[in-house]
Amino acid sequence: MKVLLGLDEKSLNELFELYKNQFGRGAARYARKTLQKWKDGKVRPNEQTYRRFLIHLPKVMSYDLKCEVLRHLMEEYCSKGHYELTVYTDDWEKALTPLVRQIIDKSYTAELPLEVERKLRWLADGEMQIAQDILRKSQIEEGKIAVSMLREEFANIENLLENTQWQSRVTHKLELPYGTINLNIKRR
Amino acid sequence: MDDENKDLVPKKQTLFPLTPDDIVDNALQNLDENQARRVTQKAADEMVRIAVDKRKAEYKNSAAQEEMRNLINNANLLDKSVDDYKINSTIETASGTTSVEIRKSKFTTKNIIAIALGLAVLILLAFFLLTRN
Repeated sequence: MKVLLGLDEKSLNELFELYKNQFGRGAARYARKTLQKWKDGKVRPNEQTYRRFLIHLPKVMSYDLKCEVLRHLMEEYCSKGHYELTVYTDDWEKALTPLVRQIIDKSYTAELPLEVERKLRWLADGEMQIAQDILRKSQIEEGKIAVSMLREEFANIENLLENTQWQSRVTHKLELPYGTINLNIKRR
Repeated sequence: MDDENKDLVPKKQTLFPLTPDDIVDNALQNLDENQARRVTQKAADEMVRIAVDKRKAEYKNSAAQEEMRNLINNANLLDKSVDDYKINSTIETASGTTSVEIRKSKFTTKNIIAIALGLAVLILLAFFLLTRN
């Protein structure tokens, strides 16, 4: 449910409009009213609301909206790694390359947990399977974009470490779709 | 695999080798016309989204470079005017977030060790002088 409610405002409005059409004004009003509590995890939606949102509603959702839900499901449920690494400004590329490559490659094989796929049968539709493939390829591109400017970013960091005379401590959090690397950067 | 492919950051290689047609090429066979149209449209939308992300990353990169330059200038200015300072800065870059801490203090680790050693020598000396009598 958290995944669904993490959608942007436009998608969320579209979703609630569909909810109103399908299950009535009162039910939609209740769902909207308790939205923030669901998001915060203060209240868990009951079984009926869960089923309405994630099992019945997709039958009437636009393909775009279903893809957005799928994107959020992938971000939430596909396993992510967290890594800590100390690198020097003259060897970062050698140290970082295998790990970054490994994280980007995870996108090729990212699968939703079986339990999620079993419950949300609409995910097995042919067009949703292709959507999953499209989103995987997007995530690969996102990863490549993130690392495409690393050389310039490290050149900036090296420049900073060179030009400040006193104690400098530099860390960098590298964020990729399937993993985060916390780098502690030093200069020899 | 050639040398270029071994690099983390490809030197001259397009980030967008795929077209929407490539992505859905084989998969479309089992879909009806409407589904095929929706899927092709989605693939095209994703390509546009990725292209926008790439442009945003370039802007972030330029802004981060500027912030880094300002940080160096500020540190150098403070260096000339005060004895102690500490700057903490968080810069959003294309790949994530860089956190920088620059600190100038009389009490550096080396100074603290030197003071501690000096004190230890004085205590030993005092102890030696007192116990001699």
